[in-house]
Amino acid sequence: MKILAVDTTASPVSAALVDDGKLSGEFFLNIKTTHSQTLMPLIDTLLKTTGTDIHEIDLFAVNAGPGSFTGVRIGVSTIKGITMPLDKPCASVSTLESMAYCMPYSDGIVCAVMDARCSQVYNALFMLDGGKVDRLTEDRALSINELQKELEHYDGSIYLVGDGAELCFKEYSDILDNVILVPENIRYQHAYGTAVAAEQYQCSSAELQPLYLRLPQAERELKARLQQRKENEK
Amino acid sequence: MQKFLSKSAQETENIAYEFSGTLKGTEVIAMFGDLGAGKTAFTRGLAKGLGAGDVVSSPTFALVNEYEGKFPIYHFDMYRITSYDDLYSTGFFDYENNGIMVIEWSENVEDFLPEDLIRITLTYLSENEREIIIEGEGKYENSCC
Repeated sequence: MKILAVDTTASPVSAALVDDGKLSGEFFLNIKTTHSQTLMPLIDTLLKTTGTDIHEIDLFAVNAGPGSFTGVRIGVSTIKGITMPLDKPCASVSTLESMAYCMPYSDGIVCAVMDARCSQVYNALFMLDGGKVDRLTEDRALSINELQKELEHYDGSIYLVGDGAELCFKEYSDILDNVILVPENIRYQHAYGTAVAAEQYQCSSAELQPLYLRLPQAERELKARLQQRKENEK
Repeated sequence: MQKFLSKSAQETENIAYEFSGTLKGTEVIAMFGDLGAGKTAFTRGLAKGLGAGDVVSSPTFALVNEYEGKFPIYHFDMYRITSYDDLYSTGFFDYENNGIMVIEWSENVEDFLPEDLIRITLTYLSENEREIIIEGEGKYENSCC
């Protein structure tokens, strides 16, 4: 099975071609350009340089969130746009889960964190065990402090990955001696991880949707507003 | 901190024009002030100072306007933005560090602004008089103005 996977959910952008488990090619950029300008050339070059016709691709995978608002929309709409006329299946992968699939060679906990600003992160925890990835929590948005309290319950190595990893490491490393900031080359989500996770998350082009997580802070605001509206109605 | 007294919209523009010379390219400029305090006039002067030309219009309905000057300028109007969700879906956080961000009606999003910013407070004193205060916060506390 040939899988083309893309990620545009944060500042890096990547595209990978995985053929029956083999990584045939991958492009990764982490520069200050808009993904809407880089993603299509990356996909195009990847297909050309690997000598692949787009019709040969069996599955188109995308990190559908969480992530930056614009980034998530660029990735999802690109894959939607490619697959709809080709009538090919998509796969909607969690950005956080794709990070765990980039490093299942080790044992321990992968703590995937993306900076959601305002001292909040998008996070999920995964257990790595002999090359397997087991999800421990849902994708959620929580404060850096709340996450720290949770991590205190885990023994063994905790690998911090994602664009919030450095931020969390600075906060946690004095208190938790088992947190590890993984090196740059595996710290961010790569489309390879998206491709590896893809087969279990297949959906149709029409079903593919951006996955946004609401911050607890936003939930509170909404509640307060609904409460206010109720009171006004009375 | 710098304090100015402006006696016309043109003077507000001139103050902003001067101020724009101190910018490095990635500052967040948060403007506070009521309707008619001169926020748009200030932004107009700033954009002219950065070589973008006379391009500024109020982005109340577009939420954000982009101008090309010496640096990219992202001109936000938060008048209709009242929650984190609203702000997130303007793509606000995706603009950070890519250019100068100028934000009108910062009052509405104050909790979500970065710590490092330049705060500009415009106060209506009388029909033709405005007080303009420019202050740096976070890493701009000593470097700006």
